[in-house]
Amino acid sequence: MSKLILNRRKFLGTTAATAGILASPAYLRRAHAAGGEVNVWTYNDFVPTDFKNDFEKDTGIKVNVRLVDDQGKQFNLLAAEQPNPTVDIMTVAGHRFLQFIENDLLQPLDVDRLPNWTTINPVFSESDWSTINGNKWGAPILSGMEVLAYNNELVPEEDVQSWMTFFSDKYKGQTAYVIQDMMSIVMLMKGYDGNMVEYLNDPERAAEIVAEARDFLIEKKPLVRKYYDGGAEVQQMFVNQDIAMACAWNGPIAALMADGFPVSMTIPKEGSYGFVYTYNIANNCPNLDNAYTFLNAILAEPEIGAAMTKASGFISTFKGADAYLTDSEKAASSFTEEELANLQFFRAEANEMKYGLVDPAVEAVKAA
Amino acid sequence: MTNTASVGAKRGAPAVTRPPAAEDATRWGRLVAWKPYQVLTGLIFASPRRQFLLLGIIPLIWLITQHLGPMLQMFQVSLLDAYPVAPGTETHFTLDNYGTFFNESVFQKPFFRTIIYSASLTFVTLLITYPVAYYLARYVKRENQLALLLLVLIPFWTGEIVRTYAIMILLGNNGAVNIALKWLGLIDRPIPFMFTGFSVSVGLIYLTALYMLLPLYSALEKLPRNFTEAAADLGAGPWTRFRRITLPLSLEGIGSGCTLVFLISTGYYGTPVLLGGPNSTVFAQTIAGFFHVAGDKWPTGAAFAVIMFVAALVLSGIFTRLIAFLRKGDS
Amino acid sequence: MTRSHRVVLSVVFWAFVVYLFVPLALMILMGFKDSKFIGFPIKSYTLDWYIGVFGDTELMVTFLYSVAIAVASTLVSVLMGTWLAVMLAGRAFVGRAAVYALMILPALVPGVISAIAFRIYARQLGIEPGMFAIIWAHAVHNVPFVTLVVMARLTTLPRSMGEAARDLGADPFVTFTRITLPYLKPALMGASIFCLLLSFDDFVRSFFLGSYQPTLPVLIFAKLRSGMSPEINAISAVALVLTAVLGVWAERSSRRMNKDT
Repeated sequence: MSKLILNRRKFLGTTAATAGILASPAYLRRAHAAGGEVNVWTYNDFVPTDFKNDFEKDTGIKVNVRLVDDQGKQFNLLAAEQPNPTVDIMTVAGHRFLQFIENDLLQPLDVDRLPNWTTINPVFSESDWSTINGNKWGAPILSGMEVLAYNNELVPEEDVQSWMTFFSDKYKGQTAYVIQDMMSIVMLMKGYDGNMVEYLNDPERAAEIVAEARDFLIEKKPLVRKYYDGGAEVQQMFVNQDIAMACAWNGPIAALMADGFPVSMTIPKEGSYGFVYTYNIANNCPNLDNAYTFLNAILAEPEIGAAMTKASGFISTFKGADAYLTDSEKAASSFTEEELANLQFFRAEANEMKYGLVDPAVEAVKAA
Repeated sequence: MTNTASVGAKRGAPAVTRPPAAEDATRWGRLVAWKPYQVLTGLIFASPRRQFLLLGIIPLIWLITQHLGPMLQMFQVSLLDAYPVAPGTETHFTLDNYGTFFNESVFQKPFFRTIIYSASLTFVTLLITYPVAYYLARYVKRENQLALLLLVLIPFWTGEIVRTYAIMILLGNNGAVNIALKWLGLIDRPIPFMFTGFSVSVGLIYLTALYMLLPLYSALEKLPRNFTEAAADLGAGPWTRFRRITLPLSLEGIGSGCTLVFLISTGYYGTPVLLGGPNSTVFAQTIAGFFHVAGDKWPTGAAFAVIMFVAALVLSGIFTRLIAFLRKGDS
Repeated sequence: MTRSHRVVLSVVFWAFVVYLFVPLALMILMGFKDSKFIGFPIKSYTLDWYIGVFGDTELMVTFLYSVAIAVASTLVSVLMGTWLAVMLAGRAFVGRAAVYALMILPALVPGVISAIAFRIYARQLGIEPGMFAIIWAHAVHNVPFVTLVVMARLTTLPRSMGEAARDLGADPFVTFTRITLPYLKPALMGASIFCLLLSFDDFVRSFFLGSYQPTLPVLIFAKLRSGMSPEINAISAVALVLTAVLGVWAERSSRRMNKDT
C-alpha cells in the first residue's frame, strides 16, 4: 500500500517545494495565524497523504477530507446543503461545471490569489472549456479520457482501430460500456459533434442525431455484455474475463495495467473525448482564505501531481509531473501523437440541450 | 434470540403462575405500592380510552414528524417544476412529473419489471428458506438452534458491495465456479453466469433470505410439536400433516416474511446494478438516474418514488388481505 | 418425523449454509492476494493487507463509529417500533390502517430518495450533518422492520396470559413488563439484529447525512473508486470478525444479566 505514498523525506528535500514555500511566506504566516480548517470533498487519493501532513504542519490549517465517489451524488449533497455548505473545495469534472454554476453552487476563482497557477499546463488551464462567463471556475488537477480498453491476449491490435469493433459480431457478448459515454462516442463515430455545441441553434437536428445514436445502440443491444457505471466494475470484468473489451476511462485501466494485467488501451481513429478534474471553491464556503491557501499549496510542486497520477491512474495536469513517474507508470498514462490527434474535450455549453436529449435516450436504451 | 429456548419451555406455564423469585417479587410489589406510581397509573389507566390516547400520543407524534415529515417534503418536491431552487427564481405547481411516467412507456417497462421481479424473488426466497427454517425449528435440538441461527446470520454482517464483488469472482467467466467445473472436466469453455437473471438472483437471495428466515423461524418454532404428532397418530401422512397443520399455522410467518421481502426488494439498487445484465434495469435505477443527472430532475425522481411507494403499498395490502383470508378459511 | 425427511432437510440446510459462506470465504481469501485487484488466479499471497488494516487507526475509528451508530439507532428503533407494534396489535381504533401505512412508509422508499428527503428535512429542522443525523435517519428507517417482527409475535400472545395477570390485580404496565415483554424477547432480539445489520450496512443515508467522519460503507465506497482491492476485502473480513466477536460478547453478557435477575 505504501507504494502509492510519496517518500516524505524526498518530498521535503525537493528544492522546488522549498522555493514554493519561501515564495509566499507572508501568505502562509497569515494563514498560520488564522489556523482553522479547510473542508475538501474529493475522490480517494486525490489529496496525497504526505502533502496533507506537510500542509497541516506548515500552515496550521487542518484538512478535513470527505471522500466522494460520484459526481451526481456530490452535486446532490451540495445542492441539499446550500446556501450554507460545509464544504470549501470540491472536485468537479470540467464538463459538469455548468450544472454547478447554473445552480449557484460554485464561486469563480480569483487566479491572482494563486501564484502557483502557472504550474498547470496551459493546455488545461487555458483551454476553451475552462473559461465560462469570463471566469475560471476550477484549478485543473487530473485529466482523463474515454479509451478503448482491451484484453491484449484475446484481442489483436488490428481489431481496435475503430470504435465500430464494439458492434461487430466477433465480440458479441464480450463488450461493456457506460451508455451515456457511448452515446457521445457513437455520435463522434458517425461524424457528428458529440458535444452538440454545433447544434446549439438547431435543436431539431440535435434531436435527430441523438435519436439516431439511440436507435443504433438499441439495435446493437444483443451484442453487449454489460452496461456498467463505475471504474471498479470494468476492472473486475477484465480480471474475471467476463469481457474482452470496454469503453472506459483511462484511470481505472491504467491501474489495471500497472498491476500487470494483460490489458491495453488506445484511442481509435475516430477520436475520443477527454475531461479534466478540477478543484473548485464552493459558493458561500465557510473558510475561503484557507481554501485559497490549500489550492495554492497543492499547485506548488509537480511531484504532488505525480503522486495523484500514481494513485488514480489519471494524467496529471501539472507541468513536469511525469519526471516523477516510473517508466511503466508513464506507459500507462501516455498516448502516441497519432492517438491524441483526434482527442477533444467534453464541452459544457450545450449540456442542457445535450443531456435533455441524451438522458431520456439512455433510459430508452436500458428499457429496450 | 437468547431466550428462544426458555420461552419455548415456558409455553405451557405462563410466567405469572410461576412463583417468582422472592426478591424480584418484592421489587415489583414495592413499585406497585409506591404512591407516585399509583397516581400515575391511576391517571393513565383510568379508562381504556384515556389509556390509548395517552400511550398513543408519542408514537403518533413520531409517525407524523419522523415518518411522514420527510416524505411530505418529497411529495411537495414531486409537485414542483424545479428543485433545488436556484436563487432568484420561482417554482410552480405542476403535475407533469407524474404525467411523465404515464405518458412514456420507457419508464413503465422497468416499473412492471420490478414488480414482477420482486414478486418472483419473494416466492423463490420463500421456497428456499422454508425448508431451512423448518429444519432449524423442528429438527435441531433447542440448545443448538441459537448457534445454527447465528451461523446462518453471520454472512449478513458484510457490506452489500463487498459481498456482491465476492459473488462476481464466484460466478465470473474466470470465477471460482467455472474454475471448479473446468477442473472437474465438466466444461471446456466457461459458462457465462454473470449479468443474467441467475446472477442477480444469487446476489439478491443472499440479501432477502434473512428477512424471510427470521419470521418463518419464529412462526415454526412456536408451533406445538404435539399437533403434528397427534395428527400422525390419527394416521395422517407427512404431506397431509404439512398441508393441513404446519402450513396453515405458519401462514402468519409466511405473510410477514413475504411482505418484508417484497417491500425491501422493490427498493434494491446496488446488487441488481452490479450483477444485472443489459435487460434487467430495475425501477430504483430509473429513479436514481433522476438524482444523478441535472438538478432539475429531482421532482421527476420524487414523483416516480411516490408512484413506486403507492404501488408497493397497494400490492402488499392485497397480499396481507389474502393471507388473512387464507387463515380464516383454514381455521 | 421420518428419517428420510430429516436427511433431505438437513442437506437443504447445509447447502444453504454453504451458499451463504462461499462468497464470504472468497472475500477472506482475497484479502491475502498480493495484487491490487481481487480475482483468480492468485499468483502470490501476502499478509500486508491484513496487517495494514490493524495498523490503520483511522480505519478502527471508522469501524467503532459505525458500531456506535448501529447500536444507538437500534435502541431508538426497537423502542419506537415495539411501541407502535403494541398499539397496532391492540384493540381496533379509528385510523388504524392509516397508522399502519405511516409506520411502514420509511421501509418502502428507495434509499436515494429517502436519503435526500432526510437531508432536506434535517436542514429544515436545523440538524447538522453528522453522527446524530445518521443515527436519526437509521432509526426512522428501521422502525417498520421492528414493528413488523414484533407484531407477528404479539398476535400469537395467548390472551389468557394477560387476562390471568389482570385477574391477579396487575395493572396494564405491570402486565406489559412482566408478561408481554418476556414473551416478546425472541422477537426483540431478532428485530435488534435486523436493525444492527441494516444500520451497519447502510451506505446512502450515511453518505447524505454524514459529515467528515465516514461510516465503514461510505469509506469502502470511496475506496472502491480506485478499484476493488484486496485491502477492501481485508477491511471487510476484519470488520466481520470484530462485529461477530462483539455480537457474541453482547449475547453472552445479556444472557448472564438474565440469569442474575
